[in-house]
Amino acid sequence: MQHPNSYDVIVIGGGHAGTEAALAAARTGAQTLLLTQNVETIGQMSCNPAIGGIGKSHLVREIDALDGIMAKAADAAGIQFRVLNARKGPAVRATRAQTDRALYRQAIRHAVESQPGLDVFQQSVVDLIVVGERVRGVRTQMGLDFIGSAVVLTTGTFLGGKIHIGEANHAGGRAGDAPSIALAERLRALPFRVGRLKTGTPPRIDGRSVDFNVMEEQPGDEPRPVMSFLSTQADQPRQVSCYITHTNERTHEIIAGALDRSPLFSGTIEGTGPRYCPSIEDKVVRFADKTSHQIFVEPEGLGTHELYPNGISTSLPFDVQIAYVRSIRGFEQAHITRPGYAIEYDFFDPRDLQYSLETRAIEGLFFAGQINGTTGYEEAAAQGLLAGLNAARSVAGKPAWCPRRDEAYIGVLIDDLINLGTNEPYRMFTSRAEYRLRLREDNADQRLTPLGRDLGLVGDKRWQAFEQKTRGLAELSERLDKTLVRPGSDLAQTLFAASGQSVSKETSLAAFLKRPEVRPEDLQLALGDVDVGLLLQATIELKYEGYIARQADEIERIRKHEKIRLPDDIDYRSVEGLSNELREKLEHHRPDTLARAARIPGMTPAALSLLLVQSKRRAQLGG
Amino acid sequence: MSPDKPKLLDDTIVAVATAAGVGGVGVVRLSGSDARRIAVEITGRRFEARKATLAEFRDAQGELIDSGLVLCFDDGASYTGEETVEFQGHGSPVALQMIVDTCLAFGARLARPGEFTERSFSNGRMDLAQAEAVADLISSGSAAAVKGAARSLSGVFSDRVRDLGDVLLRLRVYLEADIDFPDEEVDALADGEVERTLREMLERLGVLLGEAQSGVRLAQGASVAIVGAPNAGKSSLLNALSGEQAAIVTDIPGTTRDVLKVDLVLNGLPVRLVDTAGLRETTDPVEQEGVRRALAQLTDADLVIYLRDASAPLLQIPPAWLADALQVMEVWNKADLVDEPDAGMVSVRTGAGLGALTARITEALGHKADASAFTARQRHVQSLRACVAALEAALGIAVLRQHSELIAEEVRLAHRHLGEIVGEVTSDDLLGEIFSTFCIGK
Ligand SMILES: Cc1cc2nc3c(=O)[nH]c(=O)nc-3n(C[C@H](O)[C@H](O)[C@H](O)COP(=O)(O)OP(=O)(O)OC[C@H]3O[C@@H](n4cnc5c(N)ncnc54)[C@H](O)[C@@H]3O)c2cc1C
Ligand SMILES: Nc1nc2c(ncn2[C@@H]2O[C@H](COP(=O)(O)OP(=O)(O)OP(=O)(O)O)[C@@H](O)[C@H]2O)c(=O)[nH]1
Ligand SMILES: [Mg+2]
Repeated sequence: MQHPNSYDVIVIGGGHAGTEAALAAARTGAQTLLLTQNVETIGQMSCNPAIGGIGKSHLVREIDALDGIMAKAADAAGIQFRVLNARKGPAVRATRAQTDRALYRQAIRHAVESQPGLDVFQQSVVDLIVVGERVRGVRTQMGLDFIGSAVVLTTGTFLGGKIHIGEANHAGGRAGDAPSIALAERLRALPFRVGRLKTGTPPRIDGRSVDFNVMEEQPGDEPRPVMSFLSTQADQPRQVSCYITHTNERTHEIIAGALDRSPLFSGTIEGTGPRYCPSIEDKVVRFADKTSHQIFVEPEGLGTHELYPNGISTSLPFDVQIAYVRSIRGFEQAHITRPGYAIEYDFFDPRDLQYSLETRAIEGLFFAGQINGTTGYEEAAAQGLLAGLNAARSVAGKPAWCPRRDEAYIGVLIDDLINLGTNEPYRMFTSRAEYRLRLREDNADQRLTPLGRDLGLVGDKRWQAFEQKTRGLAELSERLDKTLVRPGSDLAQTLFAASGQSVSKETSLAAFLKRPEVRPEDLQLALGDVDVGLLLQATIELKYEGYIARQADEIERIRKHEKIRLPDDIDYRSVEGLSNELREKLEHHRPDTLARAARIPGMTPAALSLLLVQSKRRAQLGG
Repeated sequence: MSPDKPKLLDDTIVAVATAAGVGGVGVVRLSGSDARRIAVEITGRRFEARKATLAEFRDAQGELIDSGLVLCFDDGASYTGEETVEFQGHGSPVALQMIVDTCLAFGARLARPGEFTERSFSNGRMDLAQAEAVADLISSGSAAAVKGAARSLSGVFSDRVRDLGDVLLRLRVYLEADIDFPDEEVDALADGEVERTLREMLERLGVLLGEAQSGVRLAQGASVAIVGAPNAGKSSLLNALSGEQAAIVTDIPGTTRDVLKVDLVLNGLPVRLVDTAGLRETTDPVEQEGVRRALAQLTDADLVIYLRDASAPLLQIPPAWLADALQVMEVWNKADLVDEPDAGMVSVRTGAGLGALTARITEALGHKADASAFTARQRHVQSLRACVAALEAALGIAVLRQHSELIAEEVRLAHRHLGEIVGEVTSDDLLGEIFSTFCIGK
């Protein structure tokens, strides 16, 4: 049967990618359908109940700047907030929220259900309707066809999902959910390169069986940060603490003694896991000389006693899990409520995508989230937003929006994936962003909200707040530039009292603030009547000014290279003067512009010159 | 704590544009938006476009280097399509090099192999046929540059640059791990280790830079190896070109066993000529060693003359032996023994064709002038200097014991400059290093 409604955009999957995709498409005015296995699991966090952290929070702020839901949901569900790297520079500061799993799901579901132009339907998708090289819709388990002009696939870890606990394994999409086998098989028949990746999760523990007195308490930060540009602390629920404990030599002995029963070491698991998120058995083997590892004991929510012991994810057999958990200080009597497990799943080589996240092979079909080889809610959500937006734009006949590396972490994410591919689950880090001094949490709105407004993503409420902030910032900058501090003046004395810094000649407040020794708080004391947030941001801009100008030069050069296209069919093996290693890499990656070629590891200036000649030569031959 | 003033976008590049010494005139070409300004600095005068003007060339301290003609071309009217200045000096390689150095001191950057040409057709000043020719030029030039760089970086120097790269990588691993994994008990700035490492790096770079710079001044001429089958006349050719009886010549194949080097000047170009043992498969252990040494010379030389005996045209050396050479020029000797010698053949005995051969050699070397080991090393000096500047900036911030993200930014730049010499390190390489150094993750 064919459903009577037809849609502009159909999104498959109600995870983090799927919900942002559906919301973004609908915000720009597309008639959108969100199709998911189970409406109850919309916005479900499969693993760690936390949003943000280094690199990831930058993505969250960017999603927020484009009026996505993730940051607002994290505020509504956050039960412990911290600013990581608080003592380091603002570019690398990152907000992290421990979240109540149920509240988070509720916030996402509420947003989905309140979004005009967005329908939800519960059903597993088993097939794509493809006519020629164009997608026309999807078919669900009960044989129901939905017709849509564009389809965004965001099925996470569910495709061909296989769960391992010790020697036992079974098919599953994540604990408690069925995998997508039929759809996985159907997709494997399409012209995409498919690989296997693996990730894992720790056993959960009943908080009533844990002795918190022997653990270090880790309360949230004060003043308490917010995730969304639009939130205040009043939007956040009651706050609780996390705790820290450690593994010990006994723990490591137990694990080392059971390695032969680990699917990771017996070879049963073929998928590659993330190096930065190793299982506890991995840590014990690879860092044998470390006798202790940190564990963050995180509450799963306000309405439950369950705990998430962050740092001991595992696929060891359940009896070993009980033994090693109980060897840990504070966990001696611990009762495990759910075993830890590893999951293997299909992912698609992201190099088969365009920068819009549309597949190269099938028109109108977009991929986002974990299926593109990433890991993490934030990485998934960022892709979802972009894919949903671009799906809607393609249906409306508008060009795709593909942010650049110097504009947004979203741009870094997409560019890394599509240009270089990945052979382990890809996670964002600030060190991946060469322009991280400009890609900050604090200015995500200035970087992206005006663009988002033009794209039709940003609603009036956010736009007004943004305009107000922009005006305030402009006024403040002017004030900082125009206010002069004269030696011996009252102002000079107040500033000296606050900062211990004196002026020897007439200086603008802006120049004073630029000194490395001066903190914005000092100025706030001296000026009294300024908005702290704005002052902080003005300070950041001033302190980074020189670096950002220098990077602007680099970026300009890269943009020039971005305009130089490398034809698809260059035979790199026949380009004289390239080293064999580079030939192989170029054949493998097939960069579409000179700028992308430049980011291939091992690329040299001379080789770029050769590629430039190739492109020019081809252009002239062709035209 | 602010970095240097940003560089101009279309930075100005400079290089020796002709084969040094050929024809007694050498040209230094300067292209980019600063070309005229730099020319004014060097000569102390102004120029009209497209009019040759006689001027004195002075270095940054005002010392006289040379005098000669200066030609200016306006933006849009030059070979590269950019503002261009050409200095025509008397062609002494040393003087030309000093002019280049002076341009660098006034803010130009050393051109990469083929970069003038690259700019030329970037600016739409070239047709298809020319572009084809240029592609060939750059491809052989870049191969030459790779080998040239490897040679200029032989032994200890390259080991030390690599060692420094490793130190820098370890430093970045600490800085970046501290930033990206703040829960992992790494505190890069706490114990002054970053400062110590930066100071140590700067000291080692200072020493290295001193040595590399003196290496640039001492650069010898291009090396030309003569190889071929026994009895082709290799030793005779060396004697003829050098004008002295340096090598033993007999009609017994296998006379030369050792490598013999003679420094001479061909058409004003300093050249080190290398005679080698005749190449053939042999069981004589002494001759085998000679062949081994000959092959080593062959890979080291800027130019290999493969000498053939026209009276024994079937006598060849295995082509695979030539595969590693940078540039091979096949020359047929003993033209006096054939009835109708082809043009280009030489006879060492009668002296026929030797003048033309000399011209061919200097021309072949001249084409590679901007890719020679000499220039390669100079480029390295520039990279080392830029690396030093970035590390000094990093140290200036590190002493404050805060702003590790700014230290990381300067160190990133420093690493990139070192990468110009020993290969770029990507953020993924860096992360890989972090994961294998620290037990990261939850
Ligand atoms: C065991 C485990 C451990 C993890 N560990 C970590 C970690 O340590 N750190 C980290 O950052 N991330 C971790 N993750 C990853 C994180 O959960 C994902 O990156 C994130 O959830 C991906 O979001 P997504 O939207 O792409 O997919 P998901 O959140 O997986 O959502 C997929 C959605 O698609 C739906 N769906 C699937 N198939 C169909 C179908 N055929 N028809 C209709 N709907 C369908 C599902 O019901 C679900 O709603 C882990 C995941 C798992 C399962
Ligand atoms: N006829 C003629 N004989 C030449 C010419 N050049 C060299 N010979 C003779 O060829 C013989 C070999 O010359 P060498 O210069 O020793 O040759 P080689 O290539 O150095 O030989 P090995 O060192 O044995 O490899 C000598 O008898 C030379 O006199 C030439 O142009 N014409
Ligand atoms: Mg000899």
